[in-house]
Amino acid sequence: MENMYLPYRMYIEKITEEAPLVRTYRLKFKDPADEEKFSFKAGQFGEYSIFGEGESTFCIASSPTRKGYIECTFRVAGRVTKALANCEEGDEIGFRGPYGNTFPIDDWKGKNLLFIAGGIGLPPLRCVIWNCLDLRENYRDVTILYGARSVQDLVYKHELEEWNNRPDVNLFTTVDPGGETPDWKGKVGFVPTILKEISPSSENTIAAVCGPPIMIKLTLPVLFELGFKEENIFTTLENRMKCGIGKCGHCAVGPYYVCKDGPVITYKELKELPQEY
Amino acid sequence: MEYKLIKLEKIQDFINALIASGKQVLAPKQKKEKVFFSLVGSFDEIAMDYIQTAFSAKSAVFPKCEELYTFEKNGKDTILHNPPAPENDTIVFGMRPCDGAAFDYLTTFFLKENPDYHFKMRYDKTIFVGLTCSSGDEFCFCTSVGISPSDTRGSDLMLTKTENGYYMEIITEKGKKLVEQFSNFFEQTEQIDKTKYTANIQKRFDSSALKEKISGAFNWERWEETSLPCFGCGTCAFSCPTCTCFDIQDEANLVGGARYRIWDTCALGIFTKHASGHNPREKQSERWRNRILHKFLYTDEQFGTLSCVGCGRCIRNCPAELSIIEQVNAIMEG
Repeated sequence: MENMYLPYRMYIEKITEEAPLVRTYRLKFKDPADEEKFSFKAGQFGEYSIFGEGESTFCIASSPTRKGYIECTFRVAGRVTKALANCEEGDEIGFRGPYGNTFPIDDWKGKNLLFIAGGIGLPPLRCVIWNCLDLRENYRDVTILYGARSVQDLVYKHELEEWNNRPDVNLFTTVDPGGETPDWKGKVGFVPTILKEISPSSENTIAAVCGPPIMIKLTLPVLFELGFKEENIFTTLENRMKCGIGKCGHCAVGPYYVCKDGPVITYKELKELPQEY
Repeated sequence: MEYKLIKLEKIQDFINALIASGKQVLAPKQKKEKVFFSLVGSFDEIAMDYIQTAFSAKSAVFPKCEELYTFEKNGKDTILHNPPAPENDTIVFGMRPCDGAAFDYLTTFFLKENPDYHFKMRYDKTIFVGLTCSSGDEFCFCTSVGISPSDTRGSDLMLTKTENGYYMEIITEKGKKLVEQFSNFFEQTEQIDKTKYTANIQKRFDSSALKEKISGAFNWERWEETSLPCFGCGTCAFSCPTCTCFDIQDEANLVGGARYRIWDTCALGIFTKHASGHNPREKQSERWRNRILHKFLYTDEQFGTLSCVGCGRCIRNCPAELSIIEQVNAIMEG
């Protein structure tokens, strides 16, 4: 039997400073045999660790269509993320995963896709966005609405530019009032307000939403107003987590474990759960 | 099933022979006013007449703190090592049927989906010798959750004290092997009616009636009132035979260290607290509710079984004198 707590040993190939206290690490496997057997799907997450400090849970922020590496984006918040932030390119990181369920992107074929993200909520969607863009012919309109507190808090700035330049992607970026800079060309306003303004059609459309709880709470009524059905609205949950495999109990919401039954969930399923997330 | 008899004067020789053979014997041992499962060096150390140990036998297989793995640092590389498997068998001796039933749940929980390496390596080397209850106290309520004082679930061998000695039921292959290895201590015997020798534990609530009531209990308005004395110390969970939650923590120096898992509990506020400061279970009453619903509703939905075995430890040990029996009855009243 396998010791599921033993991580893959990986190294940091590339560090990108995204925003204040927010970094992206590109990780590669130290052992080619590990790389060979590893695969994941959009929406899954893992446990990233520094030996001697502990483990932290983040989604896999890169797309499964980009082989040979995984990426994670994190904000420095506690002991482990602080230790992670002290790493340099070439340093070793432990990784366990992939864990959890996935976005059902095969079922989304032939549909319009609407991605709505706030702040550090873009990394979990970035994975599925790139996955769908790399299989672009499978989907119809792709619309991305991304908001952050201020211009400097926007993550993946270079990729936002890339999406903005693509004729097959409708990108709307916005910052909270007061968060704009003199040369800011995007919108100013909260995500739900901008969503109302751009009013995307709900016809044959899947919405995937990820961001702070307050953003999700205020965005949902707008989506319902636009005619989105509960089963066509997806989000990805997060809860404090330790094991990632349904044993430690931390992430449990009633009988539902975010780590193995989630993290991807439709609003229809979410509203059946006790409000403990 | 096969049945054996150990004469009263032979039980001591049997235990001492187990120890002499190199097996570790974990048995109830009196320490001041309480009884704890402890490793014993001879039969004389064992408390044979006790009602309930302060902590359950689960730590034989799921210890309070254990290594998930160790690591050695070697420049920019780290070498990982699995924890060593136990070399010798452990005999859990004198375990009550409620703790046995708890192992029935624990094996489902740990081994069914994503089988747990650490649990399995200990479980495979552990033999459970149960002891039926000749008496109970006002905190015992196994019969309310579908278990009896003579239940054989989760035990490999089950002993019942009779006027002739200890009547033994051979329940599993593991138990049978042990009996064959030490056959000179046992005599052949017929099946007997154990109820003549076991305690009559009063039913404190009806679990099937509870099942109907508890499915809608999340929004019950009395959670706050009934949990008011709880100050979140977690004693209930740490002494519970079916609580399985744990934390993962590292300890290391410059050359290496280990990643450990340590018992944790949903009674503590930090258990669910996010790095952002957001806490899905902010109030103590919400944590208490989670504990009760987990035992009587959530595991029933997940595994088709309650995760309370009626051992009564959480009531005996609670410094705030909260009672899970009273709590359940309050839910039944509505």
